[in-house]
Parts: sequence; C-alpha cells; structure tokens
Amino acid sequence: MTKNNEDIKLEKKLTKSDVVKSFIRWSFISHTNYNYERLQASMFTSSLKPVFKRLYGDDPDGMKEALQRHMAFFNTEPHFGGVIHGIVIAMEEQKANGAPITGEAINSIKTGLMGPLAGVGDTLWQGTIVPILLAIGISLGIEGNLLGPLIYILLLTSIMWTIAYNVWMKGYELGTEGIQKILSGNLIQSVIMSASILGAIVLGALGASFVNLSSPIVITIGQFQMPLQSGIIDPILKGLLPLTAIFLSYYLMKVKRMKSLHVMGILFVGAFILGALGILG
Amino acid sequence: MQISALQAFLIGVVYYLGEVGTPWLTFLVSYCGLYRPLIGGTIVGIILGDPVQGCIIGASINLPYIAFMNVGGAAPSNPGLAGTLGTALAMAAGVGPSVAISIAMPLGLLGTLIWIAHMSIDVLFVHVCDKAAAEGDIEKLAFWNLWPPQIVMAIMCIVPVFIGAYYGADVVTDVIAKLPENIMNGLQVVGGVLPAIGIAMNLRQITRQGSLLYFILGFILVMYLELPMIAVAIFGVIFAYTYTSLYMKDGRV
Repeated sequence: MTKNNEDIKLEKKLTKSDVVKSFIRWSFISHTNYNYERLQASMFTSSLKPVFKRLYGDDPDGMKEALQRHMAFFNTEPHFGGVIHGIVIAMEEQKANGAPITGEAINSIKTGLMGPLAGVGDTLWQGTIVPILLAIGISLGIEGNLLGPLIYILLLTSIMWTIAYNVWMKGYELGTEGIQKILSGNLIQSVIMSASILGAIVLGALGASFVNLSSPIVITIGQFQMPLQSGIIDPILKGLLPLTAIFLSYYLMKVKRMKSLHVMGILFVGAFILGALGILG
Repeated sequence: MQISALQAFLIGVVYYLGEVGTPWLTFLVSYCGLYRPLIGGTIVGIILGDPVQGCIIGASINLPYIAFMNVGGAAPSNPGLAGTLGTALAMAAGVGPSVAISIAMPLGLLGTLIWIAHMSIDVLFVHVCDKAAAEGDIEKLAFWNLWPPQIVMAIMCIVPVFIGAYYGADVVTDVIAKLPENIMNGLQVVGGVLPAIGIAMNLRQITRQGSLLYFILGFILVMYLELPMIAVAIFGVIFAYTYTSLYMKDGRV
C-alpha cells in the first residue's frame, strides 16, 4: 500500500490533520450510539467525517456510497482496534483517487480484523492493564489516600492514548499489506500468549489481595482452645477460603456454564447466611 | 447525612458522564474513569463534601468490579451506578466499606437495565443514520449519531440517580440503623467474598492451558511473599516475555 501511494499520483491527498482529527473524534464518540443491531456502525462512520469530507466533499455520489458502506455492522475494541480505522482511511484515500479497490474489499478488511483485534485488545486492556492499575489505585484509595484515584487515571490515560494513537497512525501508514504481514507473523500470537499469562498471574495476585474471607470460629475442647483460622486453615494453605470462593465461582461459570449473575446470587446468599450464623466473619 | 436536591442532581450527572458511550470526557475517561467506583466514588465524595471518605467507600465498592469487563456490549453488571449512587447512599447512612459493597452490588445489577435500554433504544437512531447515509449527508449522520442517543441516555441516567439519592438516603439510613448485628455481619462477609466473582469471570476468559497454575502462582506471590501489586505485575511481564520467547523460538504457535 505504501508503495502504491508513491506510484499513483494522489489528487485527493489527506492531510495529517484529517487523520489525527478522525482519531480524536473516535476517542470521544466511539460508543455514543452503541446498539444491539449494529454496535459501532454509525460511530465508525461519524468518526471518519474529516476524511470523507476531504475525499468526497465535491463528489456526492462517492460520499453516499462511502457512508452507506460504513454503516454495516462493526464492533471492535476502541483502542487497539483503531488500526482498522487507519487501514480503512488509507484504502478510502486510494479508492477516491481511482485505485481499483472495491467497497467489498474495504468491508471485508473491517470484518476480518475487528474480531481478532477485539479479542487481543480486550485481553490486554480491560483484562490486564486496567485491573493492574486499578489494583494499585484501590490499594492506596482504600486507605483514604486521594493519590490512588489520581495515579490510576493519569497512568491509564497516558498508557492507553499512547497505544491508541500509534496504532491508528501505524494502520494508516502501513495500509493493508503491511498490517497483514504483521498479523500473519508470530507477533500477534506472542502478544496474546504473553497477555494471557500475565493476566492470569495478576488475577491471582488480585484474588490474594482483595478477596476477604476468614472464619472467627474457635474450637474449644475442655481447656484446649484453638482458633480455626490461624490454627488449622492457615497452616494448610494461607488464603484457602478466598481461593475456594474464587475456584468455586470459576467452576460454576466455566464447567457448569452458569451465568455470572446466578453465581453472584449463590455467593451472595451463601456468604450472607454463613456470615449471619457466625461461621465466617 | 442529608443529600440536597442539587447534590443528588450532580451525582446523577457524574453517573451519566461515566456511563459507557458518553462522549464528553472521551470514552476512556468515562468507561475507565468515572465508571469505576474508585473514581466515581471519589467525585461523589467531593460533591458531598468529604472526598477522603468518598475515596475509601468508592475504592471498596470497586473491589468486586476490579476485573470487570464489558465485552461486545454484554455487561453483567453496572459498576458506574454502584460507584456513584452506592457511594452516596453508603456515605449518607454512615456505613463502613464492607456494608457499602453490599448496598452497591444490587444497584449495579439494577444498572444493567439502564444499559440494556440504551443499547435497545439506540437501534432507532441507527436507522436515521442509514437515511442520512443514503442522502450522503455526513453532518446529519454525525448529529444523529451523537445528540439524540445522548439526550435519551442523560435522562435515563440522571433521573433514577436523582430520585435514588434524594429520596433513598433516608430509607437506607433507616434500614441500616435497624438491622441486627448478625445481619450486618452477613453483609460484611458478602462484601468480602464478592470480588471473587469478577476475578473468576476474568479467569474464565483466559483459555490458555495452564492458566490456573499461573493464577495460583500470582496468588502465592502475594499471600506468602506479600509482594505489592506493582512488583507482581513487573514479575509477570518478565515471566510472560521469557516464556513466550522460548516457546516461539521453534516457530510454533
């Protein structure tokens, strides 16, 4: 694609600011009209307003076609998924200048990439970066330290916006072929694999830090007194009760295929009864 | 503590600004900022005149949602409502962090109704956008993509929270004051165990073999070695990097 860019003289050239403006629009409006029917379709289209205006400003038919083409179902993770927007912008620019790119080709790039990128993006972002930073923020905030929420939001926005901006611009720069090369290599697989390992380790740490469950029971046999928690449970495995609660939830959801809502109900009722009876505390 | 009409309204606005899809602060600052009880609770605390208490309560309410994910528009709960209205009611009733979690969680479940309504009503506006696209009118499309859905959502978010905060504070305060001690103890245990759900939900997403072992590794690092989160995270990055590089060396996938 980059090569083609040099070969074909671009009459309708996008400026860098068109591409950047679209990125900024997307950062704000990526979910404004999120809906069950086509999810991010109209948000995708609206975010590319500066691009469409530049390319099809004096071509009403081209504009109609472009807008209708992008109103198709679309859904991806809004930060890492921005690479799709970048690629699509590059393709639209080529098309508007007469390159033989069909609307179908553009749409198949979108549908082909949105799933995998949503998967990678959600694992990395919602599943790893956000929980890690939240854990840091919460551990300060729960002590009443206002730096907790502040550090969290500053770190989060600087990390995510850096990623999102670069991914968007990279998509535009490299175009379809460049991205396909990256996607077909080991890079994406490596990133997914690393993220899932890191994610699992961090989740374990979160479980140990924030699931709070112990027993106040004291076993009394004649003169002999032994607290259940420190005398029996802790020597077996520290954190046995929190671990049990997590694995029970995991088992019910993953193996028994129960809805998270039902599992929450079971945990709520179970913990409440055991707490009210004084078995857990 | 009393919540005034103005305060109740402002809390509703905070909830609206944080709800998924509001554009005013960018998606990231909404969904990962105000939507998270750590942030939403702190701001509610500022509105109610005690940011530190808001921060403590908000951070606690955030625990069950620490691994919260909204994937493809399917949200199991609504931390935004739990963090804003939940913090407001807990502060009004003067309860501790654990009980605050028990007050907030049911609110989070109710909040999914608002989310489902949003996702359903917006279908109408997509069809108007279709028309605009057929006319080649990008300005009209951009308008219908933004204003009508946001006006509907603002009403759906602000009204219930206003009512809940303004009229609900007394009710919750009353009920909490009358609860016997063992009931309160039950609620506290619930508050302690609920973070397990969010963690299990996230763990379920990770399908790679051996993920449970990595999970236990992280658990042990904190439980026995008492490492802080940042240390575990750095360890995790290095471990994952090393493992993946070795694994990929033969070109396996």
